[in-house]
Amino acid sequence: MRNSVNRPPTPDAAEDLGKEPMFQEIINIKLIESGEKERLMELLRERLIECGWKDEMKALCRAFIKKKGRNDVTVDDLVRVITPKGRASIPDYIKAELLQRIRAYLVQAAV
Amino acid sequence: MSSKVNRHHYHHRFNAQSFPPPCPHLAEFRARNGSMPFRSLEDCLRAKPPCGRAAIRREPSEVPRCGACGESARPRLYACVACAAISCHAPPELSHAAAHATSMPPGHEIAVDVDRAELFCCACRDQIYDRDFDAAVVLSQSTTLKSATIQSAKPENLCKRRRVDYLPWSPDMRDRVLMESGSSPLVYGSDMPRGLRGLNNLGNTCFMNSVLQALLHTPPLRNYFLSDRHNRYYCKQKNGVTNSNAGGKRNVGTGDGNGNKNARLCLACDMDAMFSAIFSGDRTPYSPAKFLYSWWQHASNLASYQQQDAHEFFISMLDGIHEKVDKDRRKPHNQGHGDCCITHRVFSGILRSDVMCMACGFTSTTYDPCVDISLDLEPHQGGPAKSASMKTHPSCNGEADSLNSGQNCGISTLMGCLDRFTRPERLGADQKFFCQQCQVRQESLKQMSIRKLPLVSCFHIKRFEHSSIRKMSRKVDRYLQFPFSLDMTPYLSSSILRSRFGNRIFPFDGDEPDASNEMSSEFELFAVVTHRGKLDAGHYVTYLRLSNQWYKCDDAWVTQVNENIVRAAQGYMIFYVQKMFYYKASENQVAL
Repeated sequence: MRNSVNRPPTPDAAEDLGKEPMFQEIINIKLIESGEKERLMELLRERLIECGWKDEMKALCRAFIKKKGRNDVTVDDLVRVITPKGRASIPDYIKAELLQRIRAYLVQAAV
Repeated sequence: MSSKVNRHHYHHRFNAQSFPPPCPHLAEFRARNGSMPFRSLEDCLRAKPPCGRAAIRREPSEVPRCGACGESARPRLYACVACAAISCHAPPELSHAAAHATSMPPGHEIAVDVDRAELFCCACRDQIYDRDFDAAVVLSQSTTLKSATIQSAKPENLCKRRRVDYLPWSPDMRDRVLMESGSSPLVYGSDMPRGLRGLNNLGNTCFMNSVLQALLHTPPLRNYFLSDRHNRYYCKQKNGVTNSNAGGKRNVGTGDGNGNKNARLCLACDMDAMFSAIFSGDRTPYSPAKFLYSWWQHASNLASYQQQDAHEFFISMLDGIHEKVDKDRRKPHNQGHGDCCITHRVFSGILRSDVMCMACGFTSTTYDPCVDISLDLEPHQGGPAKSASMKTHPSCNGEADSLNSGQNCGISTLMGCLDRFTRPERLGADQKFFCQQCQVRQESLKQMSIRKLPLVSCFHIKRFEHSSIRKMSRKVDRYLQFPFSLDMTPYLSSSILRSRFGNRIFPFDGDEPDASNEMSSEFELFAVVTHRGKLDAGHYVTYLRLSNQWYKCDDAWVTQVNENIVRAAQGYMIFYVQKMFYYKASENQVAL
C-alpha cells in the first residue's frame, strides 16, 4: 500500500469530489498531464495577487521575521505561521471560480 | 558595524553583495562535489513562458511523486541533488525529505524544490542559496525569454554616466572678500527659517499658491535660482526687450507689440523674481501677480479666476518654463535626460513599460519620460473582503505591531499604491496586444517600472473619480498614509526584472548594467500639497518640512505645526527629494 497511514488532510480543490485517495490521485495526474493544473495554478496566482492576498502574506512574513530576528527564521517557520491565516483569508469568489473550473474540466475530460 | 551585520543586510534588492552564507551541509557538499551536480540539473530545468517560471523535470511531462509515500499532490516536493530521489516535505507531520537526509549516507542533505527550482537543506530544514545554481536557473529562464525581448528606443544617455566624487568646498580669503563686497547680509529671523513667506490669494489662486510654496522649497530648484543660474535681467537683455536695437535684431512694424510681449514673457524670470522676494527676509505676504499674469499668457485656456486643479497647474508651469528656457530647441524632451531645462533636470524621470505576450513570452519594452507619477488609490473592495480573523490582531502573536504596510487594517499607503503601479496587470480579452512574434493579437501582461529616478519625485494621487456610467465625477476622500522616508528600490526596473526570476542571487547585474542604480534610491519627504473640500469647491494647503520642522502654508498664513498634523492630512501631491546628490562628470575637461 503506497499511502502512509498518518497522511495529514490535504484540502486541495478536488476534495469534495471524492474522499478516496486513489480517486484523488487519478484526478491530480489527469490535471497535470493535460496541463490544466499549470493553468489553474497561474489563474490562482493571478487572482491572489489581484485581491491583495499575496501582499498580506508578505506583510505577515515580514512582521514575523522582524519579531523573531532575521537569522532565526526558517522557511518551515514561515509556512507554519502563515498557513492557517492564509487559508482562512482566501476570498470566497476565488474558491468558487476554481471549483467551477475544475468541475468544467472534469466534465469534459470524462467524455 | 561588524561584517556579519553587513552581510545580512535585509534589502529588497537581493544582489551579490548581500547574500546569505551557505549552511554547513551546503558548504560540505560544494567542497566534495564542486558545482557539477548543479550544472547537471540544467538539463532538467524547464522554463515556461510568459513569466519564465522555472521547474525541475526529468522529462517535460513528468509527474513528480514522493518516493516514500507516492503522493504527487503535496505543495512541496524536493528532489535530492545527489541521487535524484523525490521526497515530500509537509511539516510538522511528515517529512520524507528529512527522513531521506538522515537515512542515507552524508551528502544527501541538499535538495531542490521541483516546482520552484529553489535549493533546500533537508537537515537544516531551511532554504539555501547557491550562486552557481541560481546562475544556471537564471540562464535557463533568460534563454527561454531572451530571444523574445526587443527594446525600443533605449535611452542611450543612461549608460556609462561617469560620476565625480563630492569635494567639499569652503571659501578662501579672496572669495570671502568678493562675496562680502557684492552683497549685504540678510537679517536673521530667529522664529522662522528663511524663505518662509505667505502668498496672497488673488482670487481662488490657492491652487497656484500651494504648488508655488512646494516649488520654492524644492532644494535643487531653490539652489538653481538662488545661485543666479537664471538671471532675469540678463535674460531680458538677451531677448532684446529693453533695447530694440540690441544685437541687430529689429522688431519691425506690428511685430513690435507682439514680439516685445512674448520676449518679455519668461516664466523662469518671474520665478527668479519670486525667489528673490521670498528669500529676501521680508515677512509680509507676497503677491505673485506678475507670475499669475505670465502663466495666464502661457496657458490661456486656464486664465480665469475660477478654481483650478493644482496638478494641472504644476504640469502647465513646468512646461512653460521648459519652453522659455530650453537651451537647445532641437532636442525635444522625449529623451528624459533633463539637459533641456532646470525643471526637467529636477523632475524628469523615465518609466519603463513591458508588455509580455501570454502565449509565447515575447516582450515589448518602451521607455517614456515623465515629470511625475500619478497613482490610483486602491479600490474600496480591498477592505471588506478580508475575513474577521485578519482584524483581531492582538491574538496573533503580536505580529500586528510592526506591520508597516497597514493593508490588513484596510489603510491605503503610498507604498501600496506604488506596489499596485508596478504590479503585472493582465490586459483583458478586449485589450489584446499585437504580438510581433505570434503575428496575431494575444492576451498580454503589462508591467510598469521606473528606469530612472528623478531628483525630485512628485506623486500625484488621483482623487477625482469620473464615472462615465453615471456621467458625474466625485472626489475620493480616502486617507492615504505616506512615509517621511521612502526607498524606491523595489520599484526600479532592475528590481522588477529581478523579481521575475524569483528568489535568486545575481552574480551579474542582470541585463541592464547602469551606474544610475548605484546611486541612492532613498528619498526624503519635504512638501505635501493637501486638498480639503469637494471636487468643484475646495481649498489647497501646503505643508513644508524645513530642518525637520513642519510648517503649514495656507495662502498668506504660515504657521509651525506638529508632524502628526501632516501625517493625518489628505495628501494630493506628495514631493520627495533624493537624499544624496552626485556630480556628473563634465564632458569638457575644464579645470575645476
